[in-house]
Amino acid sequence: MATVSVLRFSGHQYLRHRLVLSILSGKPVRIDKIRPDDQNPGLRDYEVSLLRLLERITNGTVIEINVTGTAILLKPGIITGGNVTHECPLSRSIGYFLEPVVMLAPFSKKPLQLTLRGITSNDQDLSADLIRTVTLPHLQLFGISEGLELRIKKRGSPPLGGGEIQFLCPIIKQVKTLNFVEPGKIKRIRGIAHAVRVSPQFSNRMIETSRSVLNRYIPDIYLYSDVYKGEDSGKSPGYALSLLAESTTGAVHCSEVVSRPGTAPEDIALLASRALLSEIKKGGCVDRKHQTLILLFMVLGSEDVGRCKMGEPTARTIQFLRDVRDAFGTSFKIVPSDPSDPTSSELLFSCYGTGYVNANRSLA
Amino acid sequence: QNARSSKRRDWIKLIYSSSLSPEEIVRGDNPDSSNSLANEDNADDDDFFTLRPKTASVLNEDGDDTTKDALNEEELKQWEDEELLDSIRHLFITGSSSQ
Repeated sequence: MATVSVLRFSGHQYLRHRLVLSILSGKPVRIDKIRPDDQNPGLRDYEVSLLRLLERITNGTVIEINVTGTAILLKPGIITGGNVTHECPLSRSIGYFLEPVVMLAPFSKKPLQLTLRGITSNDQDLSADLIRTVTLPHLQLFGISEGLELRIKKRGSPPLGGGEIQFLCPIIKQVKTLNFVEPGKIKRIRGIAHAVRVSPQFSNRMIETSRSVLNRYIPDIYLYSDVYKGEDSGKSPGYALSLLAESTTGAVHCSEVVSRPGTAPEDIALLASRALLSEIKKGGCVDRKHQTLILLFMVLGSEDVGRCKMGEPTARTIQFLRDVRDAFGTSFKIVPSDPSDPTSSELLFSCYGTGYVNANRSLA
Repeated sequence: QNARSSKRRDWIKLIYSSSLSPEEIVRGDNPDSSNSLANEDNADDDDFFTLRPKTASVLNEDGDDTTKDALNEEELKQWEDEELLDSIRHLFITGSSSQ
């Protein structure tokens, strides 16, 4: 029997995508030096919770954690999917848990129906709104669409949460090769403003301010005020604005700002609108927060050359590219997309897909 | 966004064959000039206790594995500028393509 190579990483950073790469590639992963010098060393509660969640949506996964929690070994099993409910700790939002699950779910044995409870939007991870309106449409580029759905049943703001979402994901046999090099022009802007346990006027104030910035560019702006009442609005007050700009070719850029104590809704909206403009200015076909998702599915694509135009990679993306090479042996070709224009920072990423086939899929 | 990005960077080399951390690459460091951290002088240390260098894991307590980068409010203030606002008009369908 051939010995399986073990992926080795150090440090607590980038934990999520490393676990995802391990499970998808079937290679065990060993991560050590997890906050060894910290006053409170080892894994955090949300990281342990993520490991538990991954254990639940898979079968046969073995996770070993050392006594101090500074090292883990994960031997991946198969992704089973099915009906799973998980309570997320209040130290991170639901997005922290959902992002890696989105990368794994299409390769399950059975379609995943996941219920997560906790905080639906905070300022660290993608909110449930952005995952629904931006992340899931990105999956459609790869042929994952039928039955893909995210329902926000209850909202939950930090610190007490109380939100609930349901994520439904179909399974696929193989990922389509991506060829997305035409960013197009922005044709419409959409947004969701929500305010829970505060004056419902806050949503309208955010919408009005955001319009005052964005109206100069384009008339097709629809900002939706999402109202949740009573039990459905969670346990803590909070409000947020998420914006997305869609281009003629379907490229989506997004931004989001969540309320902090003492900030006016106008300031939140102003920040979100300007962040959207910065995002649009960076160019490319893919939003910066979704670079890793796109690159992962490009690696998993059929045995053909996938191409995608993007802005400059973020730190997370750079580490992800390095880790992908360790897990799948795939490296990307990255060249300026328009060599004749020195002011353009757009890059063309291309790679040869590994022809990943969902071997877990039940044939029935 | 600054002079560095216009000076074409070799991303393949930076990502796959340099030892720079992702943060250093994003900041715009070059592989050749990265040796400055290595030669820290602790020659005159006759103390028994030495101060542990503040590694990223100590400093970066809650900044770990987040998808949304913290927004730089100061940097976003630049969007008060009309010229900058107009400079991205060509990215919208309503803007002229000649710009």
